[in-house]
Amino acid sequence: MSNNIKRYQNPEIFEQLAIEYVVGGLHGRARKRFETLMETHFYLKATVEAYELKFAHLVELLPDEKPSKQLWSNLEAHINTETEQTSETVLNDTKTPWWNVLVDKKSYAFIASLFVLVTALIINPFSGGAAIAYTAILTSKTEAPMAVTRVSQSNMHISINMMKQANIPDDMQLALWCHPRHGGKPKLMGVISTTGETIIKIDKEEWNSFKDVGLLAISVESKNAQSPNENQGEILLKGQLSSLYET
Amino acid sequence: MEDKYADLLQQCAANNQLAFKQLYDATSPKLLSLCLRLLQDKQLAEDVLQEGFIKIWDKANTYSPGKGRAMTWMATVVRNKALDKLRSLKTKPAETEIQYEGLEFASRDLEPESLEHLSQDIQGLMECLKTLKPAQRECILLSYYYGHTHQELSDKLGKPLGTVKAWIRRGLEDLRPCLTI
Repeated sequence: MSNNIKRYQNPEIFEQLAIEYVVGGLHGRARKRFETLMETHFYLKATVEAYELKFAHLVELLPDEKPSKQLWSNLEAHINTETEQTSETVLNDTKTPWWNVLVDKKSYAFIASLFVLVTALIINPFSGGAAIAYTAILTSKTEAPMAVTRVSQSNMHISINMMKQANIPDDMQLALWCHPRHGGKPKLMGVISTTGETIIKIDKEEWNSFKDVGLLAISVESKNAQSPNENQGEILLKGQLSSLYET
Repeated sequence: MEDKYADLLQQCAANNQLAFKQLYDATSPKLLSLCLRLLQDKQLAEDVLQEGFIKIWDKANTYSPGKGRAMTWMATVVRNKALDKLRSLKTKPAETEIQYEGLEFASRDLEPESLEHLSQDIQGLMECLKTLKPAQRECILLSYYYGHTHQELSDKLGKPLGTVKAWIRRGLEDLRPCLTI
């Protein structure tokens, strides 16, 4: 081990260098050398991050400077491009038998893969073990299946697959909600695309909370709604959540 | 104290655009103020702030309250973007008609009556900074808010380079035990 590396393992030295780096006291080659070491030495990076968060409180003291309106427009355009949201008028939910959706090859493939998953696992609500996934088929008022959702522990995400495009006005968007099994306020999980698959990442706490979820719902929300925490819009689709257990 | 932005940031991780707009409206004025001081150019500052908010949106799922307050996490993301931009420029942007300089905003808040509306975290940090000599504190704050190099601080304050370096080094040495990371 080089003396240089040993030097950076001395807490007295690397803590001082970390705080100098954060404040901006390291320049030129010294700064680059420290950044290179940070990439391979976790403790350096962790110390820097801890000091960064300490000093970032200084931002509270700054006077406000209002950004131009263009800045938000640019951000909004960026996000909309990312999510590829398309919308038009109302949900295209004709009163056709639900099995008609199987005519669509993509929907058929998705449902087939879901059946494969379910046959690989056993839907057993009386199992003593913990669920490894949850699934729900969301249907419209006419009972036509419109979306398949799956919550997976292995991927730590919710996938929502819209089997038919939901046509909604330009100023509206679709939102996914979890309704507690024993009543209470629904939890907003995120905005979803009107067509195709949307992936919403979840954390460990959210995963654990799914054991208490009874119903998933997709509602139409105004893009300008004041509070994102309350279910304000009309529910378009809903379905009971089923637990999947490992055999 | 409740972290009003942490919930919004976690909703951004779930692709909630409404939450992102609320978060942007609430935090962008302070974050732009930071970018303006580091970059001294309105257009550059807005470009960097835009990049910063895109990163905040994209990386919101990596934030957890255990990492600290949401605003400090966001400020770190944006400041690092601004420092990257500053370092990518061969020279600092030419000074414009509007000057972003001085530490009046920070000095004022060292007074006890001004600390009341601030979070406990910043109050703690300011208490630590108050233990330093004024020259040490000034150099550290100018370095943080404006990204000044030692040489720039030396020129600005009219003090020898070695003196400025010593102020910063000793100031940070004195500050470390108080910060207790």
